[in-house]
Amino acid sequence: MKYRRALRYALSILALLVLAPAVVLVALHMPAFGGQLLAYGATVNAHVPSMRQATNVVTAIIFDVRGADTLGEEFIFAAAITGLAVLLRGGRGEDASREPIHADGRQLPARSEAVALLIRWMLPATIAFSLYVMAHGQLTPGGGFQAGAMLASALLLLFLGDGYRSWRQVVPPVVMQLLEALGAVGCVAVGLLPMLLGAGFLENVLPQGQPKSLTGGGLIPLFNVAVGMAITGGFVNALVEFLEETRVPKEGDS
Amino acid sequence: MKFAVAGCLILVMISGALVAFTRRPARQVLMISVHGLFLSMLFLLLQAPDVAYSEIAVGTALVPVMFLTVLAATRGGGRRNVPR
Repeated sequence: MKYRRALRYALSILALLVLAPAVVLVALHMPAFGGQLLAYGATVNAHVPSMRQATNVVTAIIFDVRGADTLGEEFIFAAAITGLAVLLRGGRGEDASREPIHADGRQLPARSEAVALLIRWMLPATIAFSLYVMAHGQLTPGGGFQAGAMLASALLLLFLGDGYRSWRQVVPPVVMQLLEALGAVGCVAVGLLPMLLGAGFLENVLPQGQPKSLTGGGLIPLFNVAVGMAITGGFVNALVEFLEETRVPKEGDS
Repeated sequence: MKFAVAGCLILVMISGALVAFTRRPARQVLMISVHGLFLSMLFLLLQAPDVAYSEIAVGTALVPVMFLTVLAATRGGGRRNVPR
């Protein structure tokens, strides 16, 4: 045992001796902090806003210039959520129980009325803001992924304020599963739409619209909304799968 | 601006170290959330508002909730501990 510890120390010192100079070397050769635009960034900044009527170049890159990457990422996300559901349901059974069940012996702390009230004010505001972010993806910071994650966490506020039962009633998993699936299908449909018009996959051939308008950007807003739907549904489904894991089934409830 | 970035970096460093050094898992989850908040402030200052949005929604809300759920499930009372 002691021998092993000495070996571990020797190994860590050896690693430190090798890696520490490497870290210092890399740090010394880093480009200056901020203020430096690489060639790709300069090119994109020069051409994308006028070509796509999009003021948020980040979204334009994600959903148009490198849209195929985003499509792949979207399906990585969907596959991860599916894997999670398969893994957890493998141990638990297929059905998510419709009735939320309370585990025996776990204390249910009383909810503060102040928290419940605050959340009833904040919930609509957060949902409205996330929809705003989704709609203005090509104009202001944010986009489908951000809006989807925001919407999922906004819905989670309901769990915090009004409890698991109301959360599950207001946000039924079936709806969220449909939302995730429709979002994923929508991403592919957005890619296939230009092919119907005789262009390449995900080629932005739709009319680009007016600058600084909600409809500007051609395919970008559509792709944005599809990704937003898929992300919202995916996150909520993952949370439902995890939360089901903390519950004990009633008699006769699978 | 430079000082704001430096201050944020220091806050990120401190909160990151606190995540690693916190022993009780439930508190650690809360520290992850605080760390995510400081990280998103840093991203905002470094002119990456898109990333700040993602970080604040995923890092301070969704990931901690998932960790808390996992803690609740592994602490007993979950289905796995019920004889079938």
